[in-house]
Amino acid sequence: MTQVGNIIRLSFRDYTHEWRMSGCFVAALAAVLAPLMILFGLKFGIVTSMVTQLIENPINREIRPIGSGHYDQGWFERFRDLDEVEFVIPKTRALAATMQLKSQTAKRILTTELLATAEGDPLLTKLPKTPSDQFQIILSQGAAEKLNVKRDDRIDASLARQFQGKRERVHLDLTVIDIADAKVVSRNVAFVHLDLLLATEQFKDGRAVPSLGWDGSELDESSRSYPSFRLYARSIYDVEYLVRLLESEGVQVRANTAEISTVQSIDENLSIIFWIIACVGAAGFSFSLGASLWANVDRKRKDLSVLRLLGFKSGKIVLFPVLQALYTAVLGWLLAVLVYLTFEQLINRFLAPKLNLDQTLCYLISEHFFWALGLTLGIAILAAIMGGMRAADIEPSDGLRDM
Amino acid sequence: MTAVVYSLRNVVKERMVENAGFRLHIPSIDIHAEENIALVGHSGCGKSTLMDLFALVLHPDQADGFSISPVGGETDDVDELWRRKKHNRLSLIRKQHIGYVLQSGGLLPYLTVRENIELPRQLLNLPKDDSIPSISKVLGIHRQLDKLPGLLSAGERQRVAFARALAHRPSILLADEPTAALDPITARKIMAVVMELIKGLKITLITASHDWAHVYKMDLRMLRQESGPTENGRIYQSTFRD
Repeated sequence: MTQVGNIIRLSFRDYTHEWRMSGCFVAALAAVLAPLMILFGLKFGIVTSMVTQLIENPINREIRPIGSGHYDQGWFERFRDLDEVEFVIPKTRALAATMQLKSQTAKRILTTELLATAEGDPLLTKLPKTPSDQFQIILSQGAAEKLNVKRDDRIDASLARQFQGKRERVHLDLTVIDIADAKVVSRNVAFVHLDLLLATEQFKDGRAVPSLGWDGSELDESSRSYPSFRLYARSIYDVEYLVRLLESEGVQVRANTAEISTVQSIDENLSIIFWIIACVGAAGFSFSLGASLWANVDRKRKDLSVLRLLGFKSGKIVLFPVLQALYTAVLGWLLAVLVYLTFEQLINRFLAPKLNLDQTLCYLISEHFFWALGLTLGIAILAAIMGGMRAADIEPSDGLRDM
Repeated sequence: MTAVVYSLRNVVKERMVENAGFRLHIPSIDIHAEENIALVGHSGCGKSTLMDLFALVLHPDQADGFSISPVGGETDDVDELWRRKKHNRLSLIRKQHIGYVLQSGGLLPYLTVRENIELPRQLLNLPKDDSIPSISKVLGIHRQLDKLPGLLSAGERQRVAFARALAHRPSILLADEPTAALDPITARKIMAVVMELIKGLKITLITASHDWAHVYKMDLRMLRQESGPTENGRIYQSTFRD
């Protein structure tokens, strides 16, 4: 067996022989590393999900036109094809975009605002499907509660108009296919297929809607245009560009640009805090680990002297404490990871619901675990090499007599 | 006359503590192959220091001549090796030619008795043979081979220490107060066995002891030692000579 092979064997045998002491070193390492990882996990979890939530909140990405205009089919197609646009859909005049809803389980009749929707609507990303025809509807949570309906319930929708001096009312039997989260939209809103929104406007304007069997004057289909739109940028970083583009085309718009810059500065500030904690923690961890490994080399001086007496070369002797530091580093890291994962589960399962957060409070990505291992190994080996060099430097006769 | 193994001329090792100190002075010593040498003197007279110099684990402060030429090995200028920091050469001589028994055994507590004894042979890549069982049998420790040193009595530990020091068949055996921690009867038994053992192995033995009577009985050549204050009492000097 080579000297290196022997040193590996001996350092491991000594490590397991002194398992109580080794256990203490491992526990001491984990005791410093685990809280650091939990702190990181919390910081990372909170920062990431907060920033993601702020960035992903569609309200921050909405660009709203001021006043009304004329936007034709070609305009919508052009904007839908822009990379910076995630979703755009026509709006009709606000007064024409309402209907009265009545359910069998609630007495009151609710007037709701209608919004056209389609697949990919940022307000409804969490829902599996969107209305595929004029008879399907998605209600905001507020509206659903007031009407006391749930998914798959049927609901009566009615529209009224003054037509040729008479008051007319038509009814539609709609299916509630889903309920939209209260966080996304807090008003009484019904998301419907664009066709239903257009039918509503046509009916209120006194025109005929042949597909629903509603009478009225003939419709001129040739130059259909819309007075307004609902538009969302793909990310908050695209908002500024789209605002400028729309304004250059003479469209006055409003966007949450102030809030967007707030989100961006929060993102930056939290990152700074994160790194300050990371650096201070890592420095403290280095000193603590370095001190305990240095002390171990001192404790091992006698045994190391005997090995030199037996003819081990000084250079190889340095390996002995370095290898033991390596064992401590790997085992301590493993223990810290176990402790961390336990706390991560506890925090996310029991603490997060109490704080009324549906976001993950504490988590690390696998990269972070390897960073922790690399840092631990680096510090451990450095400390042990410095200690080991000192051990190899003293005369071999030193330490023999205290045996 | 057989070959000279150790030759020391005017070798000095000093240990200074503030202004008072200790000086070991060896004007001239020649130790021949297969000689059995005893360093006898009271505690603190520098026996262990001289043993460490012989064992090549302590560097001399000054030497007009300090050479080692183990039987079957080359002649090396020890003082020059130290001065030129040839530590690997020193380790090699130690590992090939010297067996060292410490007062308290110096066994590695995490290895079994067998592994402790095998270690010097492994370091030299020597094949496994019957030398360990046979040495263990002669020393009366063959039943203890699979125990950890911590479970042995002090006497057994010293027997193991001798076995380890002899396992790789060195030509020089150094034993620093090997029986000081034992009762006189056990001590005599062990030394008798060891003396018997090395007779057949053609070994040069140097042992340190503070027990005069013991040494006379074992037929060892004693190095003369004298000590006393010098330089106006600033330094306590101990001298060993042939």
